[in-house]
Amino acid sequence: MKTEKILIFGFTKSAIEISSQLKAKGYNFTLIDNDASLLPQAEKLGFNLKILDYTDDILLEEGIGENVNFIFTLFDDDAKNVFLILSVKALDPSLHVIAITHTKDAIHKLEIAGASTILDPYQISGKKIYKLITQPDVMNVIDATVFGYHDLNMEQITITENSPLNHHMINDIYPNEAYNFLLVGIHDKELKKEFIFITEGFNHKLDAGDILVVIGQTEEILRYKKDFSL
Amino acid sequence: MDFIVSLLVRFAYFVEHSKKYRRSKEFCRTLLEHPTSKLKFYFDLFMVILVVLSVLFLLYEVKNPDLHPFMDFFINASLVVFITEYLLRLWIYSDSHKLFLERYEYALNNHASFSLFKTLHTIISKKIEYIISPLAIIDLLAILPSYRPLRFLRIFLLFRIFKLFRYARSMKTFTTIISEKKFELFTLAIFAGFVIFTGSSAIYIFETNVNPKINTLFDAIYWSIVTMGTVGYGDIVPVTKEGMVISMILIIFGVAILAFLTSIIVSSFQTKLQELKSSRTLADIERLKSYILVCGYGRVGEVVAKMLHDDGYAVVIIDIDAEKIKLANQRGMIGILGDASKSKLLGQLGVGKRASKVICVTNSDEMNVFITMTARSLSKEIDIIARVVKSYHKKKYMLAGANFALSADETIGLMGSQYIDQPISYAALDDMLTETTGVLFESLKIYEKSIYINKTIATLELREKRLLLFGVVREEVEPTALLTYAIDDKIFYFNPPGDFVIHKDDTLIIMGKRHHINLLKKHSDKRAPK
Repeated sequence: MKTEKILIFGFTKSAIEISSQLKAKGYNFTLIDNDASLLPQAEKLGFNLKILDYTDDILLEEGIGENVNFIFTLFDDDAKNVFLILSVKALDPSLHVIAITHTKDAIHKLEIAGASTILDPYQISGKKIYKLITQPDVMNVIDATVFGYHDLNMEQITITENSPLNHHMINDIYPNEAYNFLLVGIHDKELKKEFIFITEGFNHKLDAGDILVVIGQTEEILRYKKDFSL
Repeated sequence: MDFIVSLLVRFAYFVEHSKKYRRSKEFCRTLLEHPTSKLKFYFDLFMVILVVLSVLFLLYEVKNPDLHPFMDFFINASLVVFITEYLLRLWIYSDSHKLFLERYEYALNNHASFSLFKTLHTIISKKIEYIISPLAIIDLLAILPSYRPLRFLRIFLLFRIFKLFRYARSMKTFTTIISEKKFELFTLAIFAGFVIFTGSSAIYIFETNVNPKINTLFDAIYWSIVTMGTVGYGDIVPVTKEGMVISMILIIFGVAILAFLTSIIVSSFQTKLQELKSSRTLADIERLKSYILVCGYGRVGEVVAKMLHDDGYAVVIIDIDAEKIKLANQRGMIGILGDASKSKLLGQLGVGKRASKVICVTNSDEMNVFITMTARSLSKEIDIIARVVKSYHKKKYMLAGANFALSADETIGLMGSQYIDQPISYAALDDMLTETTGVLFESLKIYEKSIYINKTIATLELREKRLLLFGVVREEVEPTALLTYAIDDKIFYFNPPGDFVIHKDDTLIIMGKRHHINLLKKHSDKRAPK
């Protein structure tokens, strides 16, 4: 069981999907809603739903507790999501909140409220359909491999202080024929820049804390991590 | 008599089975009547030019009776065209042989006696029905005066101008509006007639012996119409006090009647305008060779349509909400106000012919499934991509015939959990799939003439070209030690090594910036040396 503490507010269709995925990956999470009438449905689906009046700050503070890594606000009503983010951020501004939006208008409001990431189901569906129309081959492959049932995954590898890769140039360590994976790009911790794709052609110097994003078989990535003390 | 009937029956069957006859009639119908046919458009244009020129020449002839031989020839030639057109319209108006056979078979099947005269009467009545229709009368009057013994009917040659009603759609709309508002216009005409009659009678009574300009009832009627129309030439003016009062009343009534007339026509125009726009839109769609149909212009529809439109794809949107269609039109896309679940509308739009892909993105599963079903029933080949509102309905979409059914909740679930797991890789993948940073995944199909056939991956020098090969999709399955995945009936080779040889019909899945990928595609398409 993974140790991250995850809270999911709002027992909605999206919450059920996210919970199912997290459950399958072995995450521990708490589902919270203020509507007690949802309890039978949650029980039927095998989820443990906690009923909490999140509009009451004292109850919310108790409910959130300490050391929370992620909070999802997945209510169907944008106003509820905005209010909850503001309440959570008022309690602890450093909390990482992932919010869902249902209207174009609400995106900006959620950003102002302090959401770290905003999931827009309409944008995501629209863009996916666009890709299916314009690049059906690509979507077939990505859906079947990275998103799908095959063991091909996109994973991130953080460069550690003791790793032999530390202080090396990217072009020196990749490509490496001994390992079958693709290096997609790098996230530089120091520069705090956006993600740099490998196709940009920069020969970047690796430092501890930098994150490599790779695509490959999980066991192959694990082997690489082990061999390079990552 | 029996001999004649049997001869006619044989002839009718011969016509019924004649492909040549059917094709010629079909061609004439497309040429003369098909509302969205290109052929009809060009024919109408030709006829408009012919009508305008022939009328101009006829007007020229009024003062210059000795026409230039060329003009004379032109007038005669246009007459031949008008006569041919008239006869063709008469021909295609009804299928006489079908009427004949229907009657004959009915009599045969019901053991009733077949009456040749009654049948001929029905056939001729049908043709007469056409002859006495307003547009056919105009056509005939535009032709008849050209016949020498009927020269006295020369004024009717101006009816050629009315022929334009046939060829210009907006003119047709005007006549439709007039005929649709028959009742209102008739009531108004009766009222106007009553006012004119009263006004002219009154002025006639009061002024005949006093006013030298009003001598007959015709003068009185002429004066009252001119006054009512607020024209006021001033050639006839009332000279008595009574006459002046009548003038004032007539002017007030005249203005009121004109206002009524205008409001009737304007209101009718407004209701007709939408219909007119729809038919114009259908004609626009008819001109598109290939397009993508988006059913539903909600938030998902908006995103898909915008991205496809920006990419240069022809997109047609259907929605039942007039406001959304207005919005789509303002954004430069073709929008149709209508119900996408109606087979008739999808058929009209050419689903399966010119519309090769249908995207069902309304906010209701019932509607999306129904549209999917309708589109599939129209074409087996068409690609249908549907948005699943509630993920547990996904199976129903596949049963209805969708090629892809996409659940936003499922995707959100997947992305949400991935975000927790690997936020950086999630962002990278999201960037590539949504093309926000310009780096994207794209496929490169190796066609027959590609110069990459039988070359190794290493020779492509992808790294130097700032590209990354994700893998290769191959149709034929062969034993290999490489890392492969089965995708449908194809094989996906993940990250193949440098010595991997490219075959014809392989699809390379490449990552990189669009212009780098395009350069590779361009290079690949160069004709391979023999």
